[in-house]
Amino acid sequence: MGRTVGIDLGTTNSLVAYLDATTGEPKCILGPSGSTLCPSVVSLDADGSIIVGEPARRRLLTQPERTIYSVKRLMGRGPADVQAELKLFPFRIDPASKSVIRVQLGDKIFTPPEISSFILRELKNWAEAYFGETVDRAVITVPAYFNDAQRQATKDAGKIAGLDVLRLVNEPTAAALAYGLHEKQRGTVAVYDLGGGTFDISVLKLISTSEGDIFQVLSTNGDTHLGGDDIDHLLQAFVHEEILQHDQIDFSPHGELAQELRKELIAVKHRLSETDKVTLRFALPNGKVFEHEFTRGVFETLIRPVVDRTMGPVRQALADAQLSPKQIEEVVLVGGTTRTPLIRRTVQEFFDRKPHTELNPDEVVALGAAVQANILDRGVQNMLLLDVTPLSLGIETYGGAVAKIIPRNSTIPASAQEMYTTGVDNQTGIDIHVLQGERELAKDCRSLARFNLRIPPAPAGLPRVEVKFLIDANGILQVAAKDLRNGEEHLIEVQPSYGLNDADIERMLEESIEYAEQDFAERQLIEARTEAESILTATAKALSNPKAAGLSEPERVKVEQTVAALRESVKGTDYKLIRKKIDELNHATEHLAEILMNSAVQAALEGKKLAEV
Amino acid sequence: MASPLPITDSPLVCWSCHERTIGTHFCSSCGKMLQVPEKSDYFAMFEIPRKLWIEMSALEKKFLQLSWKLHPDNYVNASAEEREISLKRSSELNDAYRTLREPVARVEYLLAIEGARVEGKNKQQAPPELLEEVFELNESLDELREAKASGGDLGSLKRRLTAAEKNFQEKLAKVDGELQGAAKEWDAAVEASANETARKSVMAKLNELLNRRSYIRNLVVNVQKELL
Repeated sequence: MGRTVGIDLGTTNSLVAYLDATTGEPKCILGPSGSTLCPSVVSLDADGSIIVGEPARRRLLTQPERTIYSVKRLMGRGPADVQAELKLFPFRIDPASKSVIRVQLGDKIFTPPEISSFILRELKNWAEAYFGETVDRAVITVPAYFNDAQRQATKDAGKIAGLDVLRLVNEPTAAALAYGLHEKQRGTVAVYDLGGGTFDISVLKLISTSEGDIFQVLSTNGDTHLGGDDIDHLLQAFVHEEILQHDQIDFSPHGELAQELRKELIAVKHRLSETDKVTLRFALPNGKVFEHEFTRGVFETLIRPVVDRTMGPVRQALADAQLSPKQIEEVVLVGGTTRTPLIRRTVQEFFDRKPHTELNPDEVVALGAAVQANILDRGVQNMLLLDVTPLSLGIETYGGAVAKIIPRNSTIPASAQEMYTTGVDNQTGIDIHVLQGERELAKDCRSLARFNLRIPPAPAGLPRVEVKFLIDANGILQVAAKDLRNGEEHLIEVQPSYGLNDADIERMLEESIEYAEQDFAERQLIEARTEAESILTATAKALSNPKAAGLSEPERVKVEQTVAALRESVKGTDYKLIRKKIDELNHATEHLAEILMNSAVQAALEGKKLAEV
Repeated sequence: MASPLPITDSPLVCWSCHERTIGTHFCSSCGKMLQVPEKSDYFAMFEIPRKLWIEMSALEKKFLQLSWKLHPDNYVNASAEEREISLKRSSELNDAYRTLREPVARVEYLLAIEGARVEGKNKQQAPPELLEEVFELNESLDELREAKASGGDLGSLKRRLTAAEKNFQEKLAKVDGELQGAAKEWDAAVEASANETARKSVMAKLNELLNRRSYIRNLVVNVQKELL
């Protein structure tokens, strides 16, 4: 079993962190470019290989049609859901997309979980290079307000990347964990998390008990399509309009010029958090230079609608927790977008309290994920997280209405049972439609799954089937049915309305391994080290066998010297050297293996290496 | 029925060590989490009697204690069977806490496990003593909808409805008060080990109050929606 890490799979940037065993503090791992941030950008190279992170981000300008950013916005969504988004993002959606969106990069088609899996695999590689060990288990964070399909898509991405996803943790909750460890806070805490593409607000209660600290989420709310991207779009729309007016140049969101302008505007946005005035100068194709001075005042007027949109969910979360702003004892700001002074001011005024910003808002979620990863890896010791489901779970009833069976903000895992029977004789099935959301009509809620409950033929009203709906600790739905007449219980395979099936995931996992060619050297190193470990163990075991006395003294010395040389080579990073030393040890132990084999089932094992005995 | 303390029948044999066990949540012999017993209920889970007054801080304390032990975070590296039991157990613990914490949900649940919950035959049917007021309210609601559609004067209609909403809010508060009274009667009956007939009569009363409450609440919600 390899290492466990915490991953923040963000809209704009992704990070990987671990818990440092010596300091007990979580730490983010640096990537090859020297930053902890891996831009969530994926590009398909002309030779068919996948490029992720900073190099991919540079290709947004040079090869926009082969490169994709903000793919998190597409996770767990159907083509009809993203029409508005398509006006703003240069996503190239395959027109043949059915329930799952497919995106075109160059001449290839990918699903959003596949693209996310490339980012996860990149972070896995960073961590493996850092530890020199396999990393195969992870805690991945998701926006608290993600629905079932979006969570399932994230979990699928993990699987495709070859990771065992131990838990999906809500981003604001992860941030609270990191702060809890850092500040040793107690009482009620509000976490305001505005990232690149998603907004969450969570209200938590931090409780000290004799066993340890409990982080109990009381309520959560948010908007999975609200973030820094929206501020960029407002700026883009403003400048596009200006340029159209003055220079009659029309920008389509596709193409290199728009990407270049977007990049400049993001820089303007960042600088306006530090200074009061920034001048944009942008070279136009007609040879002129577009020049515009942004003041912070104008900028704030422009982005006010985005900030205002966050306050509705904030009020709702407080109402659901039955707390007033005054009753919140600590406020934490998370997500890069909360660097904007207007947001800091607005939050501070609302809660009448200075928010915490001590931890790097880009890193804090990954740090919290690492804390949770450590808890899961080693078992709950002194910290426990009790999270909630952000949306009510319901089933469609007569007339298209929705009956809520698990209310929003229920602590998870949570479950509900419903009893079903038949209305006519020999009816063999009942259609069940599961939904998520707060609205009263099925058509206004998110469809999670439809399935047909199969029933053995019987007179009407006689069958009694209990269906159990369970939301697990990841916020993902499971359904099981039990026939109460014979006590037979079976899990229902729920085909999600907007998800991949197991066969899809399996195929994508295989394909993704092909794309992973660029990590060849790292992978070789890990494999060589693993193999060295096993042969070293086998050799030590063989040498301690009484029958090993049959080995001559020079032979024994030779084996011991070769063992030492292999040990030394494992400390380095040269996998070819390790392989060479493995071969030498295999050679040096041939006689030893032979002696041991002779005493066992000689004929069958002849010619085998020591490690194989 | 002398004892009001309904500790549910435990499974006799532990799934893991195959020893006889007397634990509620954990095996008294090997300490492993036990399967959820068939006949368990939320009161038994918290090891409290089936009474309607519950000390909240004690309930929370017990909830947190059990969460420490039952939560799936403890069982990530455990066998598939134990992971499954933990998922079931912790979800039922959360369901139980969610239900017992809310006074109305608690009454509904108690009646359900006592086999005494009978929902109104027709949820749309007004309790007789409210008939007249409900009729007036519905008329006002219709007028408001019409006025909205035709762009008529909304001011006076809204004032009338706001007054009606206040009136029904007061009725709701009154029902809640009566419900509390009946809950006390139930607890007294349990403490006095009252006979089946006495208990059934309190339960019938609770049931009737729940139906009335849900009817009035729906009315209030509908009015609030139109007034938004």
